[in-house]
Amino acid sequence: MGSMTAERFRQGQTYDEFKASMTRDRERFEANEARVRIAADDLAALKRARPLRVVALAADWCGDVIANLPVLGRIAQESGTLDVRVFERDANADLMDQYLNQGQWKSIPVFAFFDDGWSEVGVFIERPDPVTEIRARKRREVFAAHPEFGSPDAPPDQLPEDVRARLQAELQKMRDETTDWANGEVIREIRAIVEGRARWGGAKQREGGMAQRA
Amino acid sequence: MKVRITYCAECGYEPQTLELAGALMREFGERLASIEIIPWEDGTFDVRVGDELVHSMARDGGFPEVAAVSAAVRRAIG
Repeated sequence: MGSMTAERFRQGQTYDEFKASMTRDRERFEANEARVRIAADDLAALKRARPLRVVALAADWCGDVIANLPVLGRIAQESGTLDVRVFERDANADLMDQYLNQGQWKSIPVFAFFDDGWSEVGVFIERPDPVTEIRARKRREVFAAHPEFGSPDAPPDQLPEDVRARLQAELQKMRDETTDWANGEVIREIRAIVEGRARWGGAKQREGGMAQRA
Repeated sequence: MKVRITYCAECGYEPQTLELAGALMREFGERLASIEIIPWEDGTFDVRVGDELVHSMARDGGFPEVAAVSAAVRRAIG
């Protein structure tokens, strides 16, 4: 269970301050933000929920932050019930060490939700497991449909440059085609935490890892 | 002798990539034909010296020791 105080919380950046401080990929971040669609049912539930504070551990170089922090940002903006503060991962080791993925890895983003008594009510880490699983399957399908890409497990540097570029384009297309669904999964998991129906969202937490500390 | 470093761009592995490339440039200079840096994804950090894959994050875990890559380059260029 992570610990937080009002004073420590205020040391974080607001969502807009984080965006203003980004040194890379802000355009992609804002494009993702614009793309988020919150279904009416989800929005109504999120608006009804109790106000919560959210500690977001992030870094602007991380693909999962670029993908998923905008979803949290849009939920906070549209629901009006989440107060978000962003903490840069490598400058806040005291926080990061409380939320290691499976007790080992500094996966981000981390969204830790706190009630008004600073009790932690739930944590989202990295990305929803179904997103990892579906994209891994679709990645294998891309390779199966294009024998010229070789094995999905082979180092890509041995591919001719033009083939490697085509592979990169196909993988990007696959990610793009699954983005709206993936955003929906993030919304679904955040809603479950906010409504008190789930303790964990994002990467599955192993028994004895995060659970042991809870 | 050509060195290729394939790194995960979306993981923010640029510092490790540049550190390794810089160390090889300083140690071997014009004795290397080229150092190719390939931005990739999927948590990749692979280093190939000539045809030999001397480090793979997926295979070996973590980042390579610069000294180990340098030793592989020294062996390769004789």
